[in-house]
Amino acid sequence: MELLSFDRFAWAVSFFGHIALLLLLTMRGRARSFPLFTTYIASNIAKTVILYFILHDRPGDYSSAYWSMGVLDEALQFLVLLELALHVFRPTGVWAPDVWKTFAGLACASVIVALPLTWMAAPRSATLGRAFVLRGNFFSAALLSELFVAMLALSAVAGLPWKTHVARIAQGLGVYSMVCVAIDIVSRYLGNDDHAYKVLSHIRIGTYLACEGYWIVTLWQEAPAPRELPESMLTQIYALQRQVEYDLAKIRDWRRF
Amino acid sequence: MNKFYFVAFAVVFLAALIGLATYYTMRARRSAGATWEGLLTRLVWVDRERIAAIALDAVGESGEPRSDEEAFHLDSSTIWTLLGGLEGLEALEQNCGVLIELAAYLQRWHPEALPVAEQLRLSAREIEWHVGRLKGAAQTGKLQPAFGDYAQRAVVTYYLMTRHVLELYDRAGFAGLAELQRAL
Repeated sequence: MELLSFDRFAWAVSFFGHIALLLLLTMRGRARSFPLFTTYIASNIAKTVILYFILHDRPGDYSSAYWSMGVLDEALQFLVLLELALHVFRPTGVWAPDVWKTFAGLACASVIVALPLTWMAAPRSATLGRAFVLRGNFFSAALLSELFVAMLALSAVAGLPWKTHVARIAQGLGVYSMVCVAIDIVSRYLGNDDHAYKVLSHIRIGTYLACEGYWIVTLWQEAPAPRELPESMLTQIYALQRQVEYDLAKIRDWRRF
Repeated sequence: MNKFYFVAFAVVFLAALIGLATYYTMRARRSAGATWEGLLTRLVWVDRERIAAIALDAVGESGEPRSDEEAFHLDSSTIWTLLGGLEGLEALEQNCGVLIELAAYLQRWHPEALPVAEQLRLSAREIEWHVGRLKGAAQTGKLQPAFGDYAQRAVVTYYLMTRHVLELYDRAGFAGLAELQRAL
Protein backbone atom coordinates (compact mmCIF):
# COMPACT_ATOMS: atom_id res chain seq x y z
CA MET A 1 0.00 0.00 0.00
CA GLU A 2 1.47 3.32 -1.09
CA LEU A 3 1.17 6.22 1.27
CA LEU A 4 0.97 9.78 0.00
CA SER A 5 3.37 12.38 1.35
CA PHE A 6 0.50 14.06 3.24
CA ASP A 7 -0.38 10.74 4.86
CA ARG A 8 3.22 10.27 6.00
CA PHE A 9 3.35 13.81 7.34
CA ALA A 10 0.00 13.40 9.14
CA TRP A 11 1.06 10.04 10.53
CA ALA A 12 4.24 11.52 12.00
CA VAL A 13 2.52 14.62 13.38
CA SER A 14 -0.27 12.54 14.90
CA PHE A 15 2.19 10.07 16.44
CA PHE A 16 4.40 12.70 18.06
CA GLY A 17 1.32 14.72 19.03
CA HIS A 18 -0.09 11.69 20.87
CA ILE A 19 3.23 11.13 22.63
CA ALA A 20 3.29 14.79 23.71
CA LEU A 21 -0.30 14.52 24.88
CA LEU A 22 0.38 11.33 26.85
CA LEU A 23 3.42 12.91 28.54
CA LEU A 24 1.40 16.00 29.33
CA LEU A 25 -1.51 14.00 30.79
CA THR A 26 0.90 12.05 32.98
CA MET A 27 3.17 14.87 34.07
CA ARG A 28 0.43 17.44 34.74
CA GLY A 29 -1.60 14.89 36.72
CA ARG A 30 -4.53 14.88 34.30
CA ALA A 31 -4.32 11.10 33.80
CA ARG A 32 -5.78 10.60 37.30
CA SER A 33 -8.90 12.57 36.36
CA PHE A 34 -9.18 11.19 32.83
CA PRO A 35 -7.94 7.56 32.84
CA LEU A 36 -10.07 6.59 29.83
CA PHE A 37 -8.97 9.57 27.77
CA THR A 38 -5.37 8.73 28.67
CA THR A 39 -5.99 5.12 27.59
CA TYR A 40 -7.45 6.39 24.32
CA ILE A 41 -4.35 8.48 23.63
CA ALA A 42 -2.02 5.60 24.61
CA SER A 43 -3.96 3.23 22.35
CA ASN A 44 -3.47 5.63 19.45
CA ILE A 45 0.29 5.52 19.98
CA ALA A 46 0.23 1.71 20.12
CA LYS A 47 -1.97 1.59 17.02
CA THR A 48 0.44 3.80 15.05
CA VAL A 49 3.43 1.63 16.00
CA ILE A 50 1.63 -1.63 15.18
CA LEU A 51 0.36 -0.31 11.83
CA TYR A 52 3.87 0.92 10.99
CA PHE A 53 5.32 -2.58 11.39
CA ILE A 54 2.43 -4.19 9.53
CA LEU A 55 2.94 -1.76 6.64
CA HIS A 56 6.62 -2.68 6.42
CA ASP A 57 6.47 -6.40 7.10
CA ARG A 58 3.02 -7.48 5.87
CA PRO A 59 1.66 -4.70 3.65
CA GLY A 60 -1.11 -6.99 2.38
CA ASP A 61 -2.67 -7.04 5.85
CA TYR A 62 -2.45 -3.31 6.39
CA SER A 63 -5.95 -2.47 5.22
CA SER A 64 -7.75 -5.06 7.38
CA ALA A 65 -5.57 -4.20 10.39
CA TYR A 66 -6.32 -0.49 9.92
CA TRP A 67 -10.09 -1.01 9.83
CA SER A 68 -10.07 -3.49 12.72
CA MET A 69 -8.22 -1.05 14.92
CA GLY A 70 -10.71 1.61 13.95
CA VAL A 71 -13.36 -0.38 15.84
CA LEU A 72 -11.27 -0.28 19.02
CA ASP A 73 -10.67 3.42 18.45
CA GLU A 74 -14.40 4.13 18.29
CA ALA A 75 -15.21 1.99 21.32
CA LEU A 76 -12.66 4.01 23.28
CA GLN A 77 -14.17 7.29 22.05
CA PHE A 78 -17.52 6.23 23.54
CA LEU A 79 -15.83 5.37 26.81
CA VAL A 80 -14.14 8.80 26.84
CA LEU A 81 -17.52 10.45 26.35
CA LEU A 82 -18.94 8.37 29.19
CA GLU A 83 -16.02 9.47 31.37
CA LEU A 84 -16.81 13.11 30.58
CA ALA A 85 -20.50 12.54 31.33
CA LEU A 86 -19.55 11.11 34.72
CA HIS A 87 -17.54 14.26 35.46
CA VAL A 88 -20.44 16.55 34.54
CA PHE A 89 -23.46 14.65 35.82
CA ARG A 90 -22.01 13.26 39.03
CA PRO A 91 -20.87 16.49 40.71
CA THR A 92 -20.88 14.95 44.20
CA GLY A 93 -19.71 11.48 43.17
CA VAL A 94 -23.19 10.05 42.55
CA TRP A 95 -25.47 10.64 39.56
CA ALA A 96 -27.49 13.82 39.99
CA PRO A 97 -31.00 12.39 40.50
CA ASP A 98 -32.66 14.91 38.18
CA VAL A 99 -30.49 14.10 35.15
CA TRP A 100 -29.95 10.34 35.22
CA LYS A 101 -33.22 9.32 33.57
CA THR A 102 -33.11 12.17 31.07
CA PHE A 103 -29.55 11.30 30.10
CA ALA A 104 -30.46 7.63 29.61
CA GLY A 105 -33.51 8.70 27.57
CA LEU A 106 -31.42 11.03 25.40
CA ALA A 107 -28.85 8.28 24.83
CA CYS A 108 -31.61 5.88 23.70
CA ALA A 109 -33.16 8.57 21.47
CA SER A 110 -29.73 9.24 19.95
CA VAL A 111 -29.36 5.55 19.04
CA ILE A 112 -32.89 5.54 17.55
CA VAL A 113 -32.04 8.55 15.35
CA ALA A 114 -28.57 7.32 14.35
CA LEU A 115 -29.70 3.80 13.33
CA PRO A 116 -32.01 4.67 10.39
CA LEU A 117 -29.54 7.27 9.15
CA THR A 118 -26.80 4.64 9.19
CA TRP A 119 -29.09 2.19 7.42
CA MET A 120 -29.69 4.76 4.67
CA ALA A 121 -25.98 5.55 4.31
CA ALA A 122 -24.72 3.05 1.75
CA PRO A 123 -20.97 3.72 1.75
CA ARG A 124 -18.77 3.34 -1.30
CA SER A 125 -16.84 0.14 -0.87
CA ALA A 126 -15.86 -2.90 -2.88
CA THR A 127 -16.08 -5.39 -0.02
CA LEU A 128 -18.86 -6.27 2.38
CA GLY A 129 -16.55 -6.18 5.40
CA ARG A 130 -15.26 -2.73 4.64
CA ALA A 131 -18.77 -1.45 3.93
CA PHE A 132 -19.77 -2.75 7.37
CA VAL A 133 -16.88 -0.91 9.01
CA LEU A 134 -17.70 2.30 7.09
CA ARG A 135 -21.31 2.10 8.23
CA GLY A 136 -20.04 1.50 11.75
CA ASN A 137 -17.84 4.59 11.46
CA PHE A 138 -20.79 6.68 10.36
CA PHE A 139 -23.01 5.33 13.15
CA SER A 140 -20.32 5.97 15.70
CA ALA A 141 -19.66 9.55 14.48
CA ALA A 142 -23.39 10.36 14.36
CA LEU A 143 -24.02 8.90 17.81
CA LEU A 144 -21.00 10.63 19.37
CA SER A 145 -22.15 13.96 17.88
CA GLU A 146 -25.66 13.45 19.25
CA LEU A 147 -24.42 12.47 22.70
CA PHE A 148 -22.08 15.46 22.78
CA VAL A 149 -24.96 17.84 21.97
CA ALA A 150 -27.26 16.01 24.43
CA MET A 151 -24.67 16.48 27.19
CA LEU A 152 -24.31 20.16 26.35
CA ALA A 153 -28.07 20.69 26.41
CA LEU A 154 -28.77 18.67 29.53
CA SER A 155 -25.99 20.29 31.55
CA ALA A 156 -27.15 23.77 30.50
CA VAL A 157 -30.79 23.06 31.44
CA ALA A 158 -29.89 21.36 34.72
CA GLY A 159 -27.34 24.04 35.67
CA LEU A 160 -24.39 21.68 35.95
CA PRO A 161 -21.20 23.50 34.92
CA TRP A 162 -18.40 21.79 33.01
CA LYS A 163 -14.92 21.84 34.48
CA THR A 164 -12.42 23.45 32.12
CA HIS A 165 -10.56 20.34 31.01
CA VAL A 166 -13.73 18.25 30.69
CA ALA A 167 -15.15 20.90 28.36
CA ARG A 168 -11.97 21.04 26.25
CA ILE A 169 -11.77 17.27 25.73
CA ALA A 170 -15.49 17.12 24.89
CA GLN A 171 -15.25 20.02 22.44
CA GLY A 172 -12.40 18.34 20.56
CA LEU A 173 -14.22 15.01 20.38
CA GLY A 174 -17.57 16.61 19.52
CA VAL A 175 -16.22 18.81 16.73
CA TYR A 176 -14.24 15.91 15.24
CA SER A 177 -17.33 13.66 15.27
CA MET A 178 -19.45 16.30 13.56
CA VAL A 179 -16.81 16.88 10.90
CA CYS A 180 -16.73 13.09 10.30
CA VAL A 181 -20.52 13.09 9.82
CA ALA A 182 -20.25 16.03 7.38
CA ILE A 183 -17.49 14.25 5.45
CA ASP A 184 -19.57 11.07 5.21
CA ILE A 185 -22.51 13.05 3.86
CA VAL A 186 -20.38 14.78 1.20
CA SER A 187 -18.65 11.51 0.32
CA ARG A 188 -22.01 9.80 -0.19
CA TYR A 189 -23.24 12.75 -2.25
CA LEU A 190 -20.19 12.73 -4.55
CA GLY A 191 -20.30 8.96 -5.08
CA ASN A 192 -17.31 7.12 -6.59
CA ASP A 193 -14.94 10.04 -7.04
CA ASP A 194 -11.47 8.93 -5.90
CA HIS A 195 -9.95 12.38 -5.93
CA ALA A 196 -12.77 13.83 -3.83
CA TYR A 197 -12.50 10.87 -1.44
CA LYS A 198 -8.79 11.61 -0.88
CA VAL A 199 -9.44 15.31 -0.31
CA LEU A 200 -12.21 14.49 2.19
CA SER A 201 -9.97 11.99 3.91
CA HIS A 202 -7.28 14.67 4.26
CA ILE A 203 -9.82 17.09 5.71
CA ARG A 204 -10.79 14.48 8.31
CA ILE A 205 -7.15 13.82 9.21
CA GLY A 206 -6.43 17.57 9.32
CA THR A 207 -9.38 18.09 11.66
CA TYR A 208 -8.15 15.36 13.98
CA LEU A 209 -4.67 16.91 14.03
CA ALA A 210 -6.22 20.29 14.87
CA CYS A 211 -8.15 18.67 17.74
CA GLU A 212 -4.97 17.02 18.96
CA GLY A 213 -3.22 20.40 18.97
CA TYR A 214 -6.19 21.93 20.78
CA TRP A 215 -6.03 19.22 23.47
CA ILE A 216 -2.27 19.70 23.89
CA VAL A 217 -2.59 23.47 24.37
CA THR A 218 -5.71 23.46 26.55
CA LEU A 219 -4.76 20.50 28.74
CA TRP A 220 -1.34 22.01 29.33
CA GLN A 221 -2.97 25.13 30.76
CA GLU A 222 -4.25 25.04 34.33
CA ALA A 223 -7.96 25.50 35.00
CA PRO A 224 -8.91 28.85 36.58
CA ALA A 225 -8.14 28.71 40.30
CA PRO A 226 -11.19 28.36 42.58
CA ARG A 227 -11.90 31.16 45.01
CA GLU A 228 -11.32 30.32 48.65
CA LEU A 229 -14.07 30.32 51.23
CA PRO A 230 -13.28 30.99 54.88
CA GLU A 231 -13.65 27.96 57.20
CA SER A 232 -16.54 29.55 59.13
CA MET A 233 -18.40 30.19 55.90
CA LEU A 234 -17.90 26.59 54.84
CA THR A 235 -19.38 25.36 58.14
CA GLN A 236 -22.40 27.60 57.60
CA ILE A 237 -22.82 26.33 54.06
CA TYR A 238 -22.88 22.74 55.28
CA ALA A 239 -25.44 23.68 57.94
CA LEU A 240 -27.54 25.25 55.20
CA GLN A 241 -27.29 22.11 53.10
CA ARG A 242 -28.52 19.93 56.00
CA GLN A 243 -31.38 22.32 56.63
CA VAL A 244 -32.50 22.45 52.99
CA GLU A 245 -32.24 18.67 52.70
CA TYR A 246 -34.35 18.23 55.84
CA ASP A 247 -36.97 20.73 54.62
CA LEU A 248 -37.24 19.05 51.26
CA ALA A 249 -37.70 15.61 52.78
CA LYS A 250 -40.59 17.00 54.85
CA ILE A 251 -42.16 18.82 51.90
CA ARG A 252 -42.00 15.73 49.69
CA ASP A 253 -43.86 13.76 52.36
CA TRP A 254 -46.68 16.10 53.19
CA ARG A 255 -50.08 15.88 51.61
CA ARG A 256 -52.36 18.85 51.35
CA PHE A 257 -55.60 16.97 51.46
CA MET B 1 -33.36 8.05 -4.74
CA ASN B 2 -31.97 6.47 -1.58
CA LYS B 3 -28.90 8.69 -1.92
CA PHE B 4 -31.07 11.78 -2.19
CA TYR B 5 -33.07 10.89 0.96
CA PHE B 6 -29.93 10.06 2.90
CA VAL B 7 -28.23 13.35 1.99
CA ALA B 8 -31.39 15.36 2.73
CA PHE B 9 -32.00 13.72 6.12
CA ALA B 10 -28.35 13.77 7.09
CA VAL B 11 -27.98 17.48 6.22
CA VAL B 12 -31.04 18.34 8.35
CA PHE B 13 -29.69 16.13 11.13
CA LEU B 14 -26.26 17.77 11.06
CA ALA B 15 -27.67 21.29 10.81
CA ALA B 16 -29.88 20.61 13.84
CA LEU B 17 -26.91 19.29 15.82
CA ILE B 18 -24.74 22.28 14.90
CA GLY B 19 -27.57 24.70 15.74
CA LEU B 20 -28.21 23.08 19.12
CA ALA B 21 -24.51 22.82 19.93
CA THR B 22 -24.01 26.51 19.11
CA TYR B 23 -27.03 27.59 21.15
CA TYR B 24 -26.10 25.59 24.25
CA THR B 25 -22.41 26.49 23.99
CA MET B 26 -23.32 30.19 23.93
CA ARG B 27 -25.67 29.65 26.86
CA ALA B 28 -22.97 27.84 28.85
CA ARG B 29 -20.47 30.60 28.04
CA ARG B 30 -22.89 33.28 29.22
CA SER B 31 -23.44 31.32 32.40
CA ALA B 32 -19.70 30.77 32.95
CA GLY B 33 -18.99 34.48 32.48
CA ALA B 34 -21.83 35.57 34.78
CA THR B 35 -21.02 37.63 37.83
CA TRP B 36 -22.90 37.54 41.12
CA GLU B 37 -24.27 41.04 40.49
CA GLY B 38 -25.24 40.12 36.93
CA LEU B 39 -27.22 37.12 38.13
CA LEU B 40 -29.03 39.23 40.73
CA THR B 41 -30.22 41.67 38.09
CA ARG B 42 -31.99 38.78 36.36
CA LEU B 43 -34.17 37.99 39.37
CA VAL B 44 -37.79 38.98 38.96
CA TRP B 45 -39.49 40.74 41.86
CA VAL B 46 -42.01 38.60 43.75
CA ASP B 47 -44.16 39.65 46.69
CA ARG B 48 -42.41 37.87 49.54
CA GLU B 49 -45.22 38.56 52.01
CA ARG B 50 -47.72 36.77 49.80
CA ILE B 51 -45.29 33.92 49.24
CA ALA B 52 -44.85 33.68 53.02
CA ALA B 53 -48.62 33.68 53.52
CA ILE B 54 -49.03 30.69 51.18
CA ALA B 55 -46.03 28.85 52.63
CA LEU B 56 -46.92 29.48 56.29
CA ASP B 57 -50.37 28.04 55.67
CA ALA B 58 -48.64 24.68 55.21
CA VAL B 59 -45.49 24.89 57.34
CA GLY B 60 -44.52 26.61 60.55
CA GLU B 61 -41.76 29.22 60.95
CA SER B 62 -39.32 26.39 61.59
CA GLY B 63 -40.22 24.72 58.27
CA GLU B 64 -42.02 21.81 59.96
CA PRO B 65 -45.35 20.85 58.33
CA ARG B 66 -48.25 22.20 60.38
CA SER B 67 -50.67 19.74 61.93
CA ASP B 68 -52.96 22.20 63.75
CA GLU B 69 -56.54 22.87 62.71
CA GLU B 70 -55.68 26.14 61.02
CA ALA B 71 -53.24 24.44 58.63
CA PHE B 72 -54.10 24.17 54.91
CA HIS B 73 -56.77 26.74 55.38
CA LEU B 74 -56.15 28.45 52.00
CA ASP B 75 -58.15 27.15 49.10
CA SER B 76 -56.92 26.91 45.52
CA SER B 77 -58.49 30.17 44.36
CA THR B 78 -56.95 32.13 47.27
CA ILE B 79 -53.54 30.60 46.54
CA TRP B 80 -54.02 31.46 42.87
CA THR B 81 -54.83 35.11 43.74
CA LEU B 82 -52.01 35.46 46.27
CA LEU B 83 -49.56 33.99 43.81
CA GLY B 84 -50.59 36.38 41.07
CA GLY B 85 -51.90 33.69 38.71
CA LEU B 86 -49.85 32.31 35.88
CA GLU B 87 -47.63 35.42 35.85
CA GLY B 88 -46.74 34.79 39.48
CA LEU B 89 -45.88 31.20 38.66
CA GLU B 90 -43.71 32.32 35.77
CA ALA B 91 -41.88 34.77 38.06
CA LEU B 92 -41.15 31.91 40.46
CA GLU B 93 -39.97 29.79 37.54
CA GLN B 94 -37.65 32.51 36.29
CA ASN B 95 -36.20 33.05 39.76
CA CYS B 96 -35.63 29.32 40.04
CA GLY B 97 -33.66 29.48 36.80
CA VAL B 98 -31.49 32.19 38.36
CA LEU B 99 -31.12 30.19 41.59
CA ILE B 100 -29.93 27.24 39.51
CA GLU B 101 -27.33 29.54 37.98
CA LEU B 102 -26.37 30.85 41.42
CA ALA B 103 -25.83 27.24 42.47
CA ALA B 104 -23.71 26.68 39.34
CA TYR B 105 -21.74 29.83 40.19
CA LEU B 106 -21.07 28.47 43.68
CA GLN B 107 -20.11 25.10 42.22
CA ARG B 108 -17.78 26.69 39.66
CA TRP B 109 -15.93 29.09 41.93
CA HIS B 110 -16.21 27.43 45.33
CA PRO B 111 -15.86 23.68 44.72
CA GLU B 112 -15.56 23.05 48.46
CA ALA B 113 -19.21 24.15 48.73
CA LEU B 114 -20.24 21.58 46.14
CA PRO B 115 -22.72 19.60 48.31
CA VAL B 116 -24.74 22.68 49.21
CA ALA B 117 -24.62 24.05 45.67
CA GLU B 118 -25.95 20.71 44.44
CA GLN B 119 -28.70 20.71 47.05
CA LEU B 120 -29.76 24.24 46.10
CA ARG B 121 -29.74 23.31 42.45
CA LEU B 122 -31.91 20.24 43.09
CA SER B 123 -34.38 22.30 45.15
CA ALA B 124 -34.67 24.90 42.42
CA ARG B 125 -35.14 22.16 39.83
CA GLU B 126 -37.84 20.59 41.98
CA ILE B 127 -39.78 23.87 42.11
CA GLU B 128 -39.33 24.21 38.36
CA TRP B 129 -40.83 20.75 38.01
CA HIS B 130 -43.88 21.64 40.14
CA VAL B 131 -44.37 24.89 38.22
CA GLY B 132 -44.00 23.01 34.93
CA ARG B 133 -46.78 20.61 36.00
CA LEU B 134 -49.02 23.55 36.87
CA LYS B 135 -48.37 25.31 33.58
CA GLY B 136 -49.08 22.08 31.73
CA ALA B 137 -52.33 21.69 33.68
CA ALA B 138 -53.27 25.31 32.89
CA GLN B 139 -52.69 24.70 29.18
CA THR B 140 -54.90 21.62 29.15
CA GLY B 141 -57.63 23.28 31.25
CA LYS B 142 -57.08 20.92 34.21
CA LEU B 143 -55.57 23.46 36.55
CA GLN B 144 -58.08 23.24 39.39
CA PRO B 145 -57.48 19.66 40.60
CA ALA B 146 -53.69 20.01 40.44
CA PHE B 147 -53.26 23.57 41.54
CA GLY B 148 -53.68 23.46 45.33
CA ASP B 149 -51.17 20.68 45.89
CA TYR B 150 -48.48 21.55 43.33
CA ALA B 151 -48.64 25.32 43.79
CA GLN B 152 -48.43 25.25 47.56
CA ARG B 153 -45.67 22.65 47.46
CA ALA B 154 -43.72 24.76 44.98
CA VAL B 155 -44.21 27.89 47.06
CA VAL B 156 -43.22 26.20 50.33
CA THR B 157 -40.04 24.85 48.71
CA TYR B 158 -39.28 28.25 47.20
CA TYR B 159 -39.99 30.09 50.47
CA LEU B 160 -37.83 27.85 52.64
CA MET B 161 -34.99 27.66 50.15
CA THR B 162 -34.80 31.39 49.54
CA ARG B 163 -35.04 32.03 53.28
CA HIS B 164 -32.04 29.80 53.88
CA VAL B 165 -30.11 31.47 51.06
CA LEU B 166 -30.85 34.90 52.51
CA GLU B 167 -29.77 33.74 55.99
CA LEU B 168 -26.56 32.36 54.56
CA TYR B 169 -25.70 35.57 52.76
CA ASP B 170 -26.64 37.60 55.80
CA ARG B 171 -24.37 35.56 58.08
CA ALA B 172 -21.52 35.56 55.58
CA GLY B 173 -21.79 39.27 54.98
CA PHE B 174 -21.78 38.79 51.22
CA ALA B 175 -22.24 41.88 49.10
CA GLY B 176 -25.58 42.17 47.36
CA LEU B 177 -27.74 40.95 50.26
CA ALA B 178 -30.10 43.93 50.04
CA GLU B 179 -30.68 43.36 46.30
CA LEU B 180 -31.22 39.66 46.91
CA GLN B 181 -33.78 40.36 49.66
CA ARG B 182 -35.64 42.74 47.40
CA ALA B 183 -35.76 40.28 44.54
CA LEU B 184 -36.47 37.02 46.35
